[in-house]
Amino acid sequence: MAGVTLYHWEPNANSGKPMLALMEKGVAFDSHYIDMLQFDQHRPEYLAINPQGTIPAMTHGARVLVESTAIMEYVDEEFPGPALMPDSARDRWRVRWWMKFMDQWLAPSFSMIGWSVFVGPMVRQRNPAELEAAIARIPLPERRVSWRKAIHGTFSEAEMAESQRRVARGIELLEAELGKREWLASDSYSLADINGFNLAYAIPLSQPALSNDEKTPNLLRWLRAVYARPAVKQCWALGRTDMVKRVAILEQERI
Amino acid sequence: MAMVLYHGEPNGPSLAVLAALAESGVAVERRRIDLLAGERHALPGVTEPLARDMGIEGEGPVLVIDGEAMTESVFLAQFFDELSDRPSLQPRDPHAHWEMMMWCRQITERLSPAAALLGNLAVSRKGLATMPDEAFSAMTDRIVSADLRARWEVLRDGAADPAQVEDSRAKVSQAVERCEGKLADGREWLMGDLTIADFETYAWLAGMERVVPEAFADKPLTAAWLARVGARPSVAGALAEADGDAAAFWAPGPEINRWG
Repeated sequence: MAGVTLYHWEPNANSGKPMLALMEKGVAFDSHYIDMLQFDQHRPEYLAINPQGTIPAMTHGARVLVESTAIMEYVDEEFPGPALMPDSARDRWRVRWWMKFMDQWLAPSFSMIGWSVFVGPMVRQRNPAELEAAIARIPLPERRVSWRKAIHGTFSEAEMAESQRRVARGIELLEAELGKREWLASDSYSLADINGFNLAYAIPLSQPALSNDEKTPNLLRWLRAVYARPAVKQCWALGRTDMVKRVAILEQERI
Repeated sequence: MAMVLYHGEPNGPSLAVLAALAESGVAVERRRIDLLAGERHALPGVTEPLARDMGIEGEGPVLVIDGEAMTESVFLAQFFDELSDRPSLQPRDPHAHWEMMMWCRQITERLSPAAALLGNLAVSRKGLATMPDEAFSAMTDRIVSADLRARWEVLRDGAADPAQVEDSRAKVSQAVERCEGKLADGREWLMGDLTIADFETYAWLAGMERVVPEAFADKPLTAAWLARVGARPSVAGALAEADGDAAAFWAPGPEINRWG
């Protein structure tokens, strides 16, 4: 059978989604760590695989797949192992709805904050000419704009306030939804939980005033339940930065 | 399982869903609402409004089952397809399915926000701009999502960013280019076989021919494909029920990507 290679950064946000989906399915894969902070994703050897220069990307034999949520759906359909989409069409609709809502509305707000407090400061110390050359190599114009803002810390006050508003609203919506059922989008663990955990695992640490055992008991119950899964432990063990070690907060009995 | 589909005039997401529904043959009660009068935000019997209130698509159709509002045209099309016993509009092969989902995602992330902005500026703005303040407020106060409400307000004020308008025209041209490229090998439908991608793409693109005509110039394969999709009984039937010129009907859609 054709081999699977995954090109990924940290088990976090988009990279973590296909990593965890493959591990939950029990699919063996070659892991290629792409160091986003060293701009590995814009080097010629990676652009030869994904000309858009976005992470993650997956190869399966001669096939090249991009876009984390779409890769997860492919992994679930292509390989044997536990089903990560529910049986009922209505539940599948709900899984897809939540993934789109998170991918397009909530995650960009989390990531704007994450980039301004984490990614930007980490790369900012480098030689400015080297950074400018690195930005110039980014294939997608939209990503060039994003990187410039992150590196130079120029997200506007209004942009940051809007992202913070969406994060706060998103936490309320996740809490309400997880009060309806055990898992995010259906009664069985699904791709929506994998997607959501990658987005939300550090919320109790990064947004302590908005999310804790008292304010968001259902969100915390769910985060701990996902974290208890062997595949999640295995996946987060591949992390190299302090950012993903924040997941350890879920080991506390009381947050 | 009683299902009620609330939809607008057959253009944009409402057309995509009406066409997919007709192709599926699934029995659903359809109720036409006036999206531009904000009727979507005052539907009866909705006890779980999350997807209606926070959907990415903006003023798209809403399917209500057991009080739960369901939205997003691609996913509603998949839902009807998966309930149907007719030949599927989704490829069975996982890789071909991935390609269809990727295509639809490109359409809904890049073309839809652009087409909605341009279409609304061209046809919806006038009516909203002349609406009395109290009536406009009464209508938009019901909208739960602050960012969707802001898109209505921009349309009424005419405060659209010229750079976004220019970029939106480019996005429409890029979508037509992609169709032309995909059809270059002589295939009949975008993915080879007829799929949801044909209906989703047609629904957002057909109304753009009059707004960005230069995007369609010298694109014979796309023109022929648009004619083929338009001739499907599912699409022609939906269009025949339009109360007026369907392709001239727009309501606020998805937001333009705010991440750079």
